[in-house]
Amino acid sequence: MASEIIRTPVSRRRLLQLMGGVAAAGALANCGGGNSSGNSGGPLKVIGAGSQEAGLRKALDEYKKQNGSFEFNLSFSPADQLQTALRAQLAAGNAPDLHAVYPGNGSAMSMVQLSKANLLADLSDQAWTQKIPAGFKGAYQQDGKTHIFSPGTSVLGAIYNKLAFAKAGVEIPTTWSELLTVCDTLKKKGIVPLALGAQTPWVTQLINYALVPGTVYAKQPDFDDKMAAGSATFAGSGWADAMNKYLELQKRGFFNDNPNGTTYEQATSMVGTGKAAMAVQVSAVLQAYRAAAPSPDDLGMFPLPATDVAADNWIPGGIVVGLSVSAKSKKADEARKFIEFCGQPAQINAWAEAVACVPLYSEGEAKVDPVLKPFLPYLSGDKAVPFMDQRWPNAEVQPTHFAVVQELLGGKTTVDKALKKMDDAYKKTA
Amino acid sequence: MTAVITPPAANPRTPVKRAGRRGGIAPPWLFAAPALVVYALVMLYPSIVGAGSAFTDWSGVGEQRSFVGLDNFQQLVKDDQALGALRNTLLLTLAIVVVQNGLGLLLALGVHTTIKSRMVLRVIFFAPVVVSPVMVSFLWKYVYNPAPDAGLNAVLNAVGLGSLRQDWLGNPSLAIWSVAFTVIWQCAGYSMVIFLAGLEGVPKELHESAMVDGAGTVARFRHITWPLLAPAVTINVMLSTVGGLTLFTQIIAMTNGGPGYATDTLSTVLYKQAFVYGKFGYSTAVALVLAIFVAAVSFIQIAYLRARETSA
Repeated sequence: MASEIIRTPVSRRRLLQLMGGVAAAGALANCGGGNSSGNSGGPLKVIGAGSQEAGLRKALDEYKKQNGSFEFNLSFSPADQLQTALRAQLAAGNAPDLHAVYPGNGSAMSMVQLSKANLLADLSDQAWTQKIPAGFKGAYQQDGKTHIFSPGTSVLGAIYNKLAFAKAGVEIPTTWSELLTVCDTLKKKGIVPLALGAQTPWVTQLINYALVPGTVYAKQPDFDDKMAAGSATFAGSGWADAMNKYLELQKRGFFNDNPNGTTYEQATSMVGTGKAAMAVQVSAVLQAYRAAAPSPDDLGMFPLPATDVAADNWIPGGIVVGLSVSAKSKKADEARKFIEFCGQPAQINAWAEAVACVPLYSEGEAKVDPVLKPFLPYLSGDKAVPFMDQRWPNAEVQPTHFAVVQELLGGKTTVDKALKKMDDAYKKTA
Repeated sequence: MTAVITPPAANPRTPVKRAGRRGGIAPPWLFAAPALVVYALVMLYPSIVGAGSAFTDWSGVGEQRSFVGLDNFQQLVKDDQALGALRNTLLLTLAIVVVQNGLGLLLALGVHTTIKSRMVLRVIFFAPVVVSPVMVSFLWKYVYNPAPDAGLNAVLNAVGLGSLRQDWLGNPSLAIWSVAFTVIWQCAGYSMVIFLAGLEGVPKELHESAMVDGAGTVARFRHITWPLLAPAVTINVMLSTVGGLTLFTQIIAMTNGGPGYATDTLSTVLYKQAFVYGKFGYSTAVALVLAIFVAAVSFIQIAYLRARETSA
């Protein structure tokens, strides 16, 4: 009997019908499952950048306090995972309603790259967008439309351990030569002058970013425009001076041993505990450094001098990673309302204070983390340059910069070859 | 009395009826159908659609894409990063195949004995295999801490070999071998188990008669054990080759392809092209070439090793 059942043939047509049915069911299930953007019910789905966690949480909690029925589902992604997890969701059409986006251009998750693909909603009709300073419009806007909200400007300089400075009896340097002298004194006292965790790719760029405002932009404020027009290149510019200074710090033994094998977390711990005196970092990570120190007051921050001419020592100040509304979100109205709320002066100030950045705008005196005060005259004096990658035309230049710095530190390339690689990456199409 | 069971003789003039000839589908295909449907949906369809992207300039997001013909493949041939990654991939694969299998064979021979602790040793040697590669990578990243007072460097210091301290993952010349060692440490136990299964299948009588004939340990291994291990060698070499050529997790977790491009493999390059550089089309071209390359290498290996099995 059993053998009869087994041997009963099924026609090819019937089998194909069955297979087609299963395939269609699978495809439908695939289309319908987990598509948060296509789902108008449920909480607002938000994925933020890890570095903005304190500010974003504060804003969401405050918004919920004022709008009792508001529900949100919040998660965070470290910088390197934004590229993968979020891009995969964007590609699949199921991006969260609100998600982290880098300002300007230069990254696969940047505002320009995503808005070109029509993936970000237009926020231009919101009141706060009128307050964006002219110099920062490129970070927020593409083709005259605002696609990203960001609470303000993060500065880049040297985070330093005050106890280590006191132990070595050194003061904050204001010129490049003074910086070298300070490093030398610290080294002689057995303190690592500069902690560098260059195994973490994004950390590799920071010293160059801190130096090129002085070596490049103070002399050529329109350097980015010239690069875009093809009349300037990295090679032969002040970038070479910056990279040579970077290597000079290494040759003089001012970094911890083996920076290419040291991570960001290890470098953070070294400064927090006073084993190292300084690290060149963005102000957005101040909280992590404070968490690594016995007392948050042990740490301060100052602009890293790039030259011996005080007037040429500009600073890098870039708009911090922000939030955008997914163009395909079915809850776009709710998401836009939240962004509008974030754009109010009180909320911008609260967010900026939580992540140690300078608010986009303020009514009256802005609340700024006291350690950022040395940077404020540069911002008001028009001596601040956006983070360089925000004007680079494609997502390849920045990772190329990471790689060539690691190669330089590993002695595997020269400054000229490194800059040529960056020029080659710059010339590639967006 | 010996009972001989003779199967009924097939009538050569009566052909065996096949279900397919009556217009139906043979039962074996029916049983395979659900799995085939799932395979087609989750493997074939995405692979074919994905392969199509290799001929476009798609960024991976949005609808904009243009047909670019073979441009991505031409770019691949000239791409220094991809060519460097190919070199790294081949070096890693060679190191993994040779050392992992050599070590696996030695471990298998070591625990294929009558010593009391053999079962415990087998478990210890196999234990790393069951741990997630990401966990193993983070564990070894800790071991490879470059500070003189941490991890492996601290051990070297403690035993008076401080001069051998290294920047294990930060030195561009050393990092790839540090990663290879981690992979071998984790996977040697896997090779050991397969060799062990092969060793269990070697008849004891052959060894006993060879011993009676005066054959020593080396001679018995060379003329009895090694030829009879041929199927295990085939499986181990195949698996470790494919694993080496597609190595990704340990690289991303330990070095992210760095320092510079020193540990980039074809898998990390295609990942970076897709998710970091936003060049999904080019990334798919790299993936397609990698898939064809792995398939070709596997095919040649199988053909060679199967022939060796037959001759053995």
